[in-house]
Amino acid sequence: MASSAPRKRAAPVKTEVDATRATDLYRTVARIRAAELVLQRHITEHGFGGFWHPGLGQEGVQAGAVAALRTDDYMFIAHRGLGYALAKGMSLESLFGDLFARTVGSTGGKGGGTVHFVDPERGVLGQGGAIGSSFVLGAGAAISGQMLGTDRVCAIFFGDGASSRGTWHESALQASVWKLPIVWICENNGWAVSARISEQSPTENIADRASAYGVPGVIVDGQDAIAVFDAVTEAVDRARAGHGPTLIEAKTMRIRGHYEGDRQKYRDDLLVGDEIPRDPLGILREHVPASVADQLDDDARHEAESVLATVLEAPRADPSIIYKDVWS
Amino acid sequence: MTEQRTQESPGDGVSTINYALAINHAMAEEMRRDSRVWILGQDVGRMGGVFGVTRGLLDEFGPLRVRDTAINETFIVGAAAGAAMTGTIPIAELQFADFMLIAGDEIFGKLAKWRYMHGGKLSLPAVVRVPTGLLGGVGAEHSQSLEVLGMHFPGVKVVLPSTPADAKGLLKSAIRDPNPVLFFEHKGLYRVKGEVPDDPEFLVPFGVAAVRRRGDALTVIATGMMVDRTLAAAEVLAREGHEVEVIDPRTLVPLDMDTILESVQRTGRAMIVHEAVRTAGAGAEIASRIHEELFFALDAPVWRLGASDTPIPQDPELEQLCIPQVPGIAEAMRGLIAL
Ligand SMILES: Cc1ncc(C[n+]2csc(CCOP(=O)(O)OP(=O)(O)O)c2C)c(N)n1
Ligand SMILES: [Mg+2]
Repeated sequence: MASSAPRKRAAPVKTEVDATRATDLYRTVARIRAAELVLQRHITEHGFGGFWHPGLGQEGVQAGAVAALRTDDYMFIAHRGLGYALAKGMSLESLFGDLFARTVGSTGGKGGGTVHFVDPERGVLGQGGAIGSSFVLGAGAAISGQMLGTDRVCAIFFGDGASSRGTWHESALQASVWKLPIVWICENNGWAVSARISEQSPTENIADRASAYGVPGVIVDGQDAIAVFDAVTEAVDRARAGHGPTLIEAKTMRIRGHYEGDRQKYRDDLLVGDEIPRDPLGILREHVPASVADQLDDDARHEAESVLATVLEAPRADPSIIYKDVWS
Repeated sequence: MTEQRTQESPGDGVSTINYALAINHAMAEEMRRDSRVWILGQDVGRMGGVFGVTRGLLDEFGPLRVRDTAINETFIVGAAAGAAMTGTIPIAELQFADFMLIAGDEIFGKLAKWRYMHGGKLSLPAVVRVPTGLLGGVGAEHSQSLEVLGMHFPGVKVVLPSTPADAKGLLKSAIRDPNPVLFFEHKGLYRVKGEVPDDPEFLVPFGVAAVRRRGDALTVIATGMMVDRTLAAAEVLAREGHEVEVIDPRTLVPLDMDTILESVQRTGRAMIVHEAVRTAGAGAEIASRIHEELFFALDAPVWRLGASDTPIPQDPELEQLCIPQVPGIAEAMRGLIAL
């Protein structure tokens, strides 16, 4: 039985951090960051046929959590950026391809604007356009994994806003009773469009709710990718061993608007300048030699720029795609 | 089409069983055939379902394949969708078709759309079984016929069996179909008996209407509980010298318009009878298609009979007055033939 108060995870001690792990995480965070920045610039300069929800500043949660999963583990992503999918091994080309509705996209040119990345081979099963709908879908994937005799775990990413949905309540109850192999990862960035978390939750932490469902609740610093990795690893191990789901709340922050272009007039905590407070890259740099980190930054920037150029040149789908794949 | 229809003719053995048991046998046979098939819903296990349709399945298949859930329709259908996209074949039971709306996003936003949205990379072979229609005093929130919703959301198939044999054969087809299927079982038909083939390979294909009665004076397209009532009304008309053709489409998605149009071409007159609200029901769509395709072959406009534009009252006598009855159907047949 879970204790009643959520457990706050301490920051990892520097000397205990595995150097390879830190470098791998740095690489992933840097790749997500570069993709974010290149998209931000492109959208600012050229506009965008849809809504891009930037994940800038939240890369540490996404990279750290996904690194704790196996490639064949299932994953339902949230709408905040592309970090989850990139970290799970999808190519940047397939993700940008979706954003710009090109045939190289993971949805073959149908996607565009908002994220519906998919890659069943890598366990990436999509994102619920109706916020919070992944809770119930993810429970189903976890059941399939069990029934097919695998030890696959299902990770479900969601925002603080999504935690208000009834789908959460129904899923948390049933998944806990059935001990489904699930890890819920809440990216609490403090905002749901214009609504502050304090206006949506009577308790300070989302993880405070865990005990009511009889599952462990864990609070972790979402800017610290290694801490997130450690917390999710523990939850994944627990789920894989048949002990049921865990609710992890990663405290992070929404650096930019709800969507790129949002003027955020409702916001009183706006940042000035480009500095990201408690930047996940900066925190990881404590564990990675500077020369290595610099090189990874360069590689990532180069990758993002060249992939964007390639994708913008790639063909759009023939309009006949409208009629494709309604039925199996 | 005739060829496919003969496929349903009884194989080695035939049993006379009720509609509920026919559905039960369909599930049991498919679960024996394919270990990926499983069931979830409220009271489906220990109790065997509020209408007794899943009786005995928990004993045979165990609690991992026959799962009693909490009162969580959103979860039931949502988990079915998530399970379907990851390689198992869930059969979700809702206690009343009305509760489809509680799982609205899961049915119409997920099951119907997620293959399409993801460029065909996912498939969603789930069946959602929903007890539909009047039962007698269960009231406005437990009596609706909502099958038209499935026609309005591309991506889900819609099945409405009107006989025990069709209930079995169509459900087996639904379970084997790689697409999501809404399976509308009429609560008022559960205890109706009929001959049902025992052959575990007995399947009723989708998109093939059954011509329940041949005639030349008028074509009536009837669904669900209204099929028997329409046949009874057609008997009355036969005694009066008018032979009415009665067609049961059996599936609304896909819809066998070929059989309907071929019949109306011959009779020149058509009427649709359903238990769903008349306004914007499936009948409106079928009538429009007939008008569009056969305007110059029609001797009269296409008529529709359906439920009144009201919620269903709780009282069992009042509720029957809301939906088509045999005398009213017969009267409408006479009126349309006389036009
Ligand atoms: C069911 C539903 N209601 C409303 C919306 C519109 N919407 C999209 S994102 C969002 C806010 C989500 O907030 P949160 O879960 O905290 O995620 P964040 O955007 O902060 O990453 C809203 C209201 C939606 N997509 N689905
Ligand atoms: Mg938020």
